[in-house]
Amino acid sequence: MSDYQVLNTRAPRVDGPAKATGQAKYTDDFKIPGMLYASILQSPVAHARILHIDASKARKLTGVKAVVTAREAGLIKYGVSPARYDETLFAHDKVRYVGDEIAAVAASDQDIAQEALSLIKVDYEELPAVFDMFEAMKEGAPQIHDEFPGNMNAEVHQEFGDTEAALRSCDLVVDHTFINKRQDAAFIEPHSCLAVFDHSGRLTLYTSTQVPHYVMRTVAMTLQIPVGNVRVIKPYVGGGFGPKCEATPLEMSCGLLSKVTGQPVKMTYSREQVFLHSRARHQFYAEMSLGVMKDGTMVALKNKAVLDGGAYTSFGIATVYYSGSLLGGPYKLKTMKYDGYRVYTNKPACGAQRGHGGVAHRACFEQLIDMTAEKLGIDPIDMRLKNIMTTGDITVNELDMSSLGMKECIEAIRSGSDWNNKKGKLPKGKGIGMACGFFVSGAGYPIYRSDTYHSTVVIKLSEDGGVANVMTGSAEIGQGSDTTMAMIAAETLGIKLKDVQVHSGDTDYSVDLGAYSSRQTLMTGHATKEAAEQVKSQIASHLSEELNVPVSSITFADGIVKFDGGPGNFEKLRSSYIKEHRGWMDPPTGEYLTFREAARMAYLKAGTIVGTGKYKPPRLGGSYKGAAVGTSPAYGCSAQIVEVTVDLETGQITIDRMTDAHDCGLAINRTSVEGQMQGSLSMGLGECLFEEVKFDSRGRVLNPSLGEYKIPTALDMPKVKSIIVESSEPNGPYGAKEVGEGAIMPTIPAILNAIYDATGVRVNELPATSERLFMALKDKSEAV
Amino acid sequence: MKRIIKLTINGKTIEAAVSSNQTLLQFLREDMDLTGTKHGCGLGDCGACTVILDGKAVNSCLVLAVQADGSEILTIEGLAEDGKLHPLQQAFVDKGAIQCGFCTPGMILSAKALLDEKPNPSELEIRTAISGNLCRCTGYQKIVEAIGEAAEVVRMREES
Amino acid sequence: MLLPKFDYHEPATLEDALRLLSEMGGNARIVAGGTDLLVRMKLKVEKPSHLISLRKIPRINVIIQRENHGVSIGAAVTAGELSTNELIMERFTPIGLAAARLGAPGIRNRATIGGNLVNARPAADLSPACMVLNASLKLKRSKNEREVPVNDFFRGPGETLIEPNEMLVSIFVETPPPWSGGAYIKLGSRKTLEISMVNVAVLLTLQSQNGPIVDAKIALGAVAPTPVRAFAAEEFLIGRQPSAKLFSEAGAIGVGMCEPITDHRGTMEYRCLMIETLTSRALNQAYQDAMTWKPLPV
Repeated sequence: MSDYQVLNTRAPRVDGPAKATGQAKYTDDFKIPGMLYASILQSPVAHARILHIDASKARKLTGVKAVVTAREAGLIKYGVSPARYDETLFAHDKVRYVGDEIAAVAASDQDIAQEALSLIKVDYEELPAVFDMFEAMKEGAPQIHDEFPGNMNAEVHQEFGDTEAALRSCDLVVDHTFINKRQDAAFIEPHSCLAVFDHSGRLTLYTSTQVPHYVMRTVAMTLQIPVGNVRVIKPYVGGGFGPKCEATPLEMSCGLLSKVTGQPVKMTYSREQVFLHSRARHQFYAEMSLGVMKDGTMVALKNKAVLDGGAYTSFGIATVYYSGSLLGGPYKLKTMKYDGYRVYTNKPACGAQRGHGGVAHRACFEQLIDMTAEKLGIDPIDMRLKNIMTTGDITVNELDMSSLGMKECIEAIRSGSDWNNKKGKLPKGKGIGMACGFFVSGAGYPIYRSDTYHSTVVIKLSEDGGVANVMTGSAEIGQGSDTTMAMIAAETLGIKLKDVQVHSGDTDYSVDLGAYSSRQTLMTGHATKEAAEQVKSQIASHLSEELNVPVSSITFADGIVKFDGGPGNFEKLRSSYIKEHRGWMDPPTGEYLTFREAARMAYLKAGTIVGTGKYKPPRLGGSYKGAAVGTSPAYGCSAQIVEVTVDLETGQITIDRMTDAHDCGLAINRTSVEGQMQGSLSMGLGECLFEEVKFDSRGRVLNPSLGEYKIPTALDMPKVKSIIVESSEPNGPYGAKEVGEGAIMPTIPAILNAIYDATGVRVNELPATSERLFMALKDKSEAV
Repeated sequence: MKRIIKLTINGKTIEAAVSSNQTLLQFLREDMDLTGTKHGCGLGDCGACTVILDGKAVNSCLVLAVQADGSEILTIEGLAEDGKLHPLQQAFVDKGAIQCGFCTPGMILSAKALLDEKPNPSELEIRTAISGNLCRCTGYQKIVEAIGEAAEVVRMREES
Repeated sequence: MLLPKFDYHEPATLEDALRLLSEMGGNARIVAGGTDLLVRMKLKVEKPSHLISLRKIPRINVIIQRENHGVSIGAAVTAGELSTNELIMERFTPIGLAAARLGAPGIRNRATIGGNLVNARPAADLSPACMVLNASLKLKRSKNEREVPVNDFFRGPGETLIEPNEMLVSIFVETPPPWSGGAYIKLGSRKTLEISMVNVAVLLTLQSQNGPIVDAKIALGAVAPTPVRAFAAEEFLIGRQPSAKLFSEAGAIGVGMCEPITDHRGTMEYRCLMIETLTSRALNQAYQDAMTWKPLPV
């Protein structure tokens, strides 16, 4: 299919055997001599002034090595975006949600650490609390942060063209409102960190994170350690999906406790603490109007968002921008207006989660398109095709679709699902629905303002020439980035995949912003490719000199080197290699010079062969306020068709089949691409049908467990037909772009559109539980 | 107060002193250094801690170590033989059934318990057997495919 | 998730276990599968100072067929075993079906019928199934024993007739007459790993393959503080000729028996509506099962 040796294949993951045998080490699997166990004291009340903290009893408990509070930790503010640093490691004046961190202890075992927490006495003066975002916006609502009156954490107002005028000129304007529920990422590995502060003043954190780089910077800042003395190592990570994208109180507490005690300190969140830490998907309220012409041409979109942010900002500013900016495509609009509000409430802070900021609004928009198409009597697919953007189009908010296989995706699912024979022809209770979506391949700008490279990569060859070591700070969190980088390195160097070793997730290896915004394939991929090219060119030039042949005659592929396409004359290199490695088990053989021999020769001439690569995007996007959020060097896109059966007597929904097409540019690893597609659908299905973090009237999470917070099981997921669509992305390494997040965009609206097709009921509040759907069905039948 | 238990783990006889309130999961991870068994929730909701206890897949977070006295336990570390991956492990690697890998040990052991009882399972039987093992990464499809393929390999191996 | 400290006892005989239980009274809990008790201990809802394990006690985990007239199920028989036992599935169908819907496989391999009954959660799977089969529970203490009908056993959420020094040792179920059939339906949000929003167990006995209904038992879970029998609906069915219409009328009557609550799993209103639907469905299924009744192969 392609000319590549390694890319575009179904190569097994490089970490597969380690994970299949239990040898892969995750943070909580580490144990080192002298290690202490830590635990965090969290607020039992949602909003209160802290009058007094007495930790004296806890300090006296045998086995307790340290207790730290705001007094020891200091009051340095941190957060995700420097524009909104609104957290301190420990609460000092107020607690703002059930779970707010107050103190941490380190003890010789976990039982003692737990007991010590129970001995810390905190006097609170309870304050009125607010848990609903609309209530929080009202005058007279309890104020959560003095600096943000009206609990208004962030506001966005953007308009492209005159939207009101455009709406007035339309033949038809359709409105829709939609509300989702707070989600939890429900990765299976709870956060864990092991901190080692050594005698030279260096802090090493082994931690379950998506972003070693940002953790390093935040921890250095809050603990007042020179950033060069903080090293963050990410062992294997058991899933992230967004909430592991920022430094946590767990990481900072472990670091501080290790610094204070001089001993290694480990802490792992309980599942309940994962829910309390949250930083997962917000609750979004969406209000939209779409204006169209009679023939189905989309003209204007008006979009309003209200986000329940919880008690702190976390990623929230980016989130509230994304809810607007990611609706600019993949349809041609003439005007668009967006008003977004992120509101503080006395609940755990929300942050980024797969499809950051875009998922709920996409769900509203794609339902709105179906509603409009129905009124116009147009097939939902035809309606979309009429307005679809193609490669080279620029959205109304100036996002550049440098490649876009959206149309190809739609056509692929139309035939792949047999849509034409099903739509409108299914019996009552059965339905079919579709939707589209797109997402960034890496945020165009880092979280903090900087000219930093987004990725650098070092490739170092082993002295025998046989192994290329790829060293990167990027984060393998399960998505397969190590395998992707190994494949890009192998392809570029012209060696076999097995001869590449990836060393990743360590801030000492290179700079990399980490695993978020679906950025690593494109950005780390570029840096890997450049580093490999540098290595290759060094070898080529040494070869050219040694063998007296022009560089242009030398090619590398599949572990061998050719000269003008032939074996050339390399006898002296081979005999010297064999002489140097007498008695070794694998002398080079065959009619061609091997990469190994060539690399050894280069080493003998120049010392260790090292190549470096780097990447940062060019300046992207418009110049309006907030133009940076939503920019990316490239956009992946996706279209899905879902078929459902609704039990009309109970409201229970069964997803029968899903057909998904995704344009990921060149699919570096076809198996991994399908894995991302299927995993995205599963998360979307869960959010659509089951998932909701619920609170009682005092702000306590009612369902902080994987028994009561329901993610899909193997019996809830249907068979998915995954179709890979490959455009060629000019800004991606080998034409590659994202798949990890774009693929979740269409899932919820496709399910909801299918439910509507099956029942005639529009679900405008998630999750679409059997009760919600049944009651809506009942209301509808009573209304008739 | 500690109690002495004697049990077989991955074919090896072990004698150890354990506290009564220690779970089998804690015993395996902390005392035996068998960290392939994962702690995901502690409440029997996620299946990451699945091991095979006397032939049955169980959540080791809800078994007391003292309750395993006299039992035979298989953890993920005991599945590969002579350094060669078990067909289930091989199929999980080959079919892309692994992403973050945190559910993988439990998932493979639930599948192993299934294949030991039903060498030729239907897709529904496979999905049911792993229905207590939550995976947030894969959407289960490649896991189901891998188990189906491994079943075939095991059957062929036993026929020959 | 740490367990609080406790002393663990592993008596080798039932007598020893009962003696320990009477010595420790309210400070001890019996542990069998532990899938419910250990969770509650980790959540600090329960803090017993002693756990008495059943694992060494002979024959407490076996199913014994009593010559044609019934079956005795040891309290420590697991849900997994019940759901795969052919006799249970064939003749005591609601128990088999309910056991198959309890938790997920890893839980079913540990959770026991005794634990599921004694814990007395309103949404428990096996309680309504045992109720429609008129199971009788053998409760033992050091000096004596008594038999209690399961239909009288439950008193409230987590509360039963059992005394602190008593142990449930076995469950006896009489074999339903020929032309009996059973069903169990559970409504949750996921397809598995669920706690019921509503569950229904039914046992229906026909006079003959085509004959009228001679006996009907309906029990509902998660609709009141304890699982309840829908007596009015049962009486309504007896003597009548089975039909879909009849079953749907019985479902409507069944709702009258319930006082479901609104909680985060579902509202009272929806639960009531579902009782009607699920009762009627379960009756239809039990009827199909009854019509295909066959003598067991000898």
